[in-house]
Amino acid sequence: MTAATSLLSFAGLVVTLAIVWRQSWPGRLRLFAFQSLLLAVLAATLGVLAGRPRLVLLGLVFLVIKVVVIPRVLYRIGSGMPVRPVAPGKSSGITLLVAGVLIVVAYAVMLPLRTVTALPTAGAIPLAFAMALIGLFLCVTGRDALGHILGFLVFENGIFGLALLATYGLPGIVEAGVFLDVLIIVLIMEGVVGQVRREHESIDEPKLRELRG
Amino acid sequence: MMLVLLLAVPLVGAGGLAVARGAWLGRLHGLVATLTLTASLAVTVTVYRARDVTALDGFLRADALSAWMVALIGLVAVLAALEAPRYVTTAVAPRFYALFHLFVFTMLLAVTTDDVGFMWVAIEGTTLASVFLVNFERTRASLEASYKYLLICSVGIAVAFLGTVLVYFANVQLFGDEEYALRWTTLLRLAPGLAPQVVQLAFVFLVVGYGTKAGVAPMHTWLPDAHSEAPAPVSALMSGVLLAVGVYAILRFKPVVDLAAGPAFTSRILLGLGLLSMAVAALFLWAPTNFKRMLAYSSVEHVGIACVGLGFGGPWGIAGALLHIANHALAKSTLFLLAGRIRAAYGSADITAVRGLLHPLPRTGGAFLAAMVALMGLPPFGLFTSEVLIFGAGFAKGAIVEAALGLVLLLVAFGGLLRSTQAMLYGVPTGPAPAAASGAWPVAPVTLALLLLILTGVAWPPGLGDALEQLAAIVGP
Repeated sequence: MTAATSLLSFAGLVVTLAIVWRQSWPGRLRLFAFQSLLLAVLAATLGVLAGRPRLVLLGLVFLVIKVVVIPRVLYRIGSGMPVRPVAPGKSSGITLLVAGVLIVVAYAVMLPLRTVTALPTAGAIPLAFAMALIGLFLCVTGRDALGHILGFLVFENGIFGLALLATYGLPGIVEAGVFLDVLIIVLIMEGVVGQVRREHESIDEPKLRELRG
Repeated sequence: MMLVLLLAVPLVGAGGLAVARGAWLGRLHGLVATLTLTASLAVTVTVYRARDVTALDGFLRADALSAWMVALIGLVAVLAALEAPRYVTTAVAPRFYALFHLFVFTMLLAVTTDDVGFMWVAIEGTTLASVFLVNFERTRASLEASYKYLLICSVGIAVAFLGTVLVYFANVQLFGDEEYALRWTTLLRLAPGLAPQVVQLAFVFLVVGYGTKAGVAPMHTWLPDAHSEAPAPVSALMSGVLLAVGVYAILRFKPVVDLAAGPAFTSRILLGLGLLSMAVAALFLWAPTNFKRMLAYSSVEHVGIACVGLGFGGPWGIAGALLHIANHALAKSTLFLLAGRIRAAYGSADITAVRGLLHPLPRTGGAFLAAMVALMGLPPFGLFTSEVLIFGAGFAKGAIVEAALGLVLLLVAFGGLLRSTQAMLYGVPTGPAPAAASGAWPVAPVTLALLLLILTGVAWPPGLGDALEQLAAIVGP
């Protein structure tokens, strides 16, 4: 169990780093879908190994929402955009370095958890948390609305992974809420981004600077 | 049963309003708002008379803290609902009213559920219900504001989810699977045995997460935009009670963390963030250009003051903080509603556009002045009393430096608010005279709110003291 969960979490983290590194939008989107797939497998694996059929179902729902529906919606939002951001951005080298630092931070922050638990999945918890931190970093530094949304979704994935590894899933109603929220947020984002684009002819963040102070 | 009814009224009402048309719309809107207030007050009175009310096998539960919030939400919702018809055209009215009551429903749900996981879902629901209301005028600025609001609050709420997961983790670690492991009552019962480090880590996430919703600096950046761009009734709801719901969520976890890890930890965090919020807001209050933004920054300041009170702790600090939240809700929602009228009359929300407000709009201007005096914390209004309680608690506790710093920041913010208010109320009118003022009766609800503020200021109605004692006992130590 330890080997399987650690391996899947580690793979998820590597994919996160690849998202940081890639510049092309369709490429990043494919990587996100792949990362979500890994997490769905993680949920199913935990469900089988720990004897909790509910987690297998959870993995299936996750698969439908995050591997199929959300990437499709994002693809539709992103269609017609330049494949790479027009504005010059930070070099991948620096962002990867920051991501590396965040992994170390994740291990440091999650230290208290490891001291109190004997769960076989404990070793993978910092990996999932690192995924969340890097997602947050992507969200904050995203150059356009798509970058923000993708960062947010990676962040959500990390938290989902952490919740799975630390507690083997939360009470059902909460999980349902989480899925619904993510889905609605992405759908609202689609509407908002659509309106921004109609009015600004672009969704570059620097043009959204009317409100300050 | 009563709680189910309380939640059913706005929810069913929202459904009905979404399909209602014509003259029925306004009437139904008023009816739903009135029934919501009635149910809220009924729940509040019952709880303070007979202690906790539960429903649906304990899933819904209202104790003194919930009842306090329920009453606030009911009051502010009615104030805002009375003003709403001024802001909606018939074409979009069904959607506006439906979302308005849905927003009220999510807030009521957040404060009456006993399950902290479900509370999280409800608070996320408040964002989703209100994001369309923020962008209701569909201007560029309101669009940007709603985008920022959605993104920042979604990230914040996800951080709060992480905190909730960690609390559950600490809980499950010790006691194995419990069906009700995320029930607040269960958490409180098991709290003394929870691993202190894990619970502390969880609290940091929870404060950052729900603090984003509460408008605590440095996570407040969405707030001035959303509050200033939303239509006035929505701003009133957001500033008056949505921020309070964010604080409420933190308050639910505070006693759990205090029992598990000692009170010093939560107290330090809340005190630090509270003072930071006050400092950030005080600086911005000296340079506002837009009076709705000014009010929004003042909300950051007052949430900061409430956090400082919670940080000082003790019965006085906590009672002061919760009383302050209530006072602020009344004063700020009134001010946002009046600001909406001023904006409509002058066609601009710029402070420089409004000069000599008292001449063309004596009633609105006079009420604005009175509410600003209340907001600045001058007697005889309630905010003065709650600020005295809060900082008195600080000095009594021996936190001289923090309390003194808080008072200095309070003075700086006071000066900034006074300067802008003075500029708006007096001075020589520059532009053309604004549209004529409306009749007398719309001032009635505003007057009622101001009278309530005087009551909490100089003459506590019977029961208020008891209620505050009960609150302090729940949130303590």
